[in-house]
This record gives sequence, structure tokens and C-alpha cells, in this order.
Amino acid sequence: MTGSTSSPRVPGTTLLKIARRLFNENLLSAVVQPTIADLQREIADAGPNGVKRLRAQWRGYCAFWTLTLVAPFASWASPSADAGGVAFPDAIARLAVGSIVVAMLAIVGPVLGAWVAVVTAAGALFAILIHAWYDRHPSDIPTPAEPQRRSPQINFSSTEVAGNIGGLIFVVGSVFIVAVGLPSVIWFLFAATVAGCFLAWALVAWHRSHPKYGLPENRIVLR
Amino acid sequence: MVDNGLVPLPRKERLILELLASDGPMYGLQLVEQSDGSLKRGTVYVTLGRMEAKGLVESQQEPVPPGGIGLPRRIYRPTALGERMLRACAAFARELAWEIKT
Repeated sequence: MTGSTSSPRVPGTTLLKIARRLFNENLLSAVVQPTIADLQREIADAGPNGVKRLRAQWRGYCAFWTLTLVAPFASWASPSADAGGVAFPDAIARLAVGSIVVAMLAIVGPVLGAWVAVVTAAGALFAILIHAWYDRHPSDIPTPAEPQRRSPQINFSSTEVAGNIGGLIFVVGSVFIVAVGLPSVIWFLFAATVAGCFLAWALVAWHRSHPKYGLPENRIVLR
Repeated sequence: MVDNGLVPLPRKERLILELLASDGPMYGLQLVEQSDGSLKRGTVYVTLGRMEAKGLVESQQEPVPPGGIGLPRRIYRPTALGERMLRACAAFARELAWEIKT
């Protein structure tokens, strides 16, 4: 960029000022400045011919406003492009939020009445204020430095129980605790015990008929 | 060139690479003029910026003459990666056209 762009007579100076308010540095240098440079060059090439100058200006201005619409969505131009971010400058984001609020008011107002519209507008305004406040005063959300503790829920699924008297005591004790704690499910415990006995009998019968199957990995050892 | 969406390079990027490879380094406006309306003034630099970020083209600001006014323009040229990509796309399109024909 040259220092001479500060002169108000250079075409495109106003566009450059607008662009500086709208776009980040990446977009400015890669997209906006070359477009304005083209505009300036075309006007310079047009010479004193008024019609040619007007045509060049028209083309250049159209190109600028087109890229103003398109460029914010160019993800490569964002400093956080590596994180998949989108170059969405603050000014355009505010403009988008403002447009959404106005559109909401236009839709909600006639349908649900002025009171709802006012509440909606106040809510949106409040949300924007909170967002702006937190942008300026970012708070550190405390996060546990240690790994998250285990959930205190009762879960027997990963408990290893040997097929001996210790395992039997464990199972009976667990059932007793559940029966005391949840008396309404005693019928289920009885039914489960009966079903478990049948299942155990079936397993024993099956292992007797297949004595070598799965023994190395099987935790239940038949004696 | 076969335009079927299977070639792993967007149509406009391929066109820019073809123009730069055949006609040499160019300014954005020259690319627009050479493209017969396929490239637009308002979006050509967005495409070029994306290609630069991908490493397909590289750009350089033109030197500003003493006393010159206005912003310097950028001149674009394909990188080695861009040229390889273009050759790969052309080979892929040729092969696909041959397979479709047979």
C-alpha cells in the first residue's frame, strides 16, 4: 500500500476506509486491496474520457460490493482458518444480528402483538449486552485439574465375582441390599433368582457336555 | 476438459491455473478479461486468495513507480504444486474421457 492513498482525490479511498472497518487484515490484503487497485488502474487508464471513467467506477464499485457480500464467508481468510473458523468480522456479525432482530420484530410484532415484540426486542438487546460484557470481561470457567471422578452410581457390570463361596456371599448381599432399599422390586428379584438358577443349571449342563470349550478364558471353573 | 465434478479441483480454480499456465503471470483483472465471463471481478480475488492459501498460486505486489498513486496490484503465477495439480487433473480427465469412450 502506498502512502498516497490518504489523498481524498484517489478513487477508492472511501471504499478502503469502509473495508478497513469491515474486514480483517488477511481479507484486506488478499481480496479488497487488489480489487480497489484494479478500480484505480481502470480509472487511470480511462484518462479524461468521462464515460469511460464512469464505466470503470461502476464496475469497480460493483466488484467491491460483491466481494463485500462474498468475502466474509471465505474460510481461508480467517486467522483461525486452521480451526475451521469463518472469517466473519465483528461489524458484519453485528449487522447480521441486528438484521435478525429486526426481522424477528417484523414477524412477531403483527402476529403476537406489541407486548411480545417488545419483550423479544428487550431479550435480544439483553443478550447482546451480556455478550458484549463477557467479551470485555472474559471469565475463567473453573475446570477440574484432576481427571473426572468416577460416578457414584451402583454398577456391578464390571465387578469380577469368582464362582466360590465369596462370590455367593457377594451376590446374596447385593440382592439383600437392593431388596431392603427397593422393596417394590422384590418380586423381580425372586423371579430373577429363579431364572438365574435355571440359567446356571443350563450352563453347568452345557459345560459338562463340552468340557474343553472356552476353559482358558472362562472365569467360572467347574469343580 | 471433462466437467463432471470428479476432478478434485473446482472449475474456477482449474480455469485460473490453465490461464496462468498458458499465458504466464497475470493480474486479477487480466484473468477476468481472459476468462470470457467465467470469472467475475467481485469474486476473482476470493478464488485467488483461496488458491494461494492452498499453495496453488503465488502472488507478488507490483512495484510502485515513484510518484505513482493508488494501491499496488498483485500479479499471480502458478506454483509448482499448482502446475502439478493441473497436469494431474488433465491426465485424470483424459483417462476418464477414454474410459467413457470405450
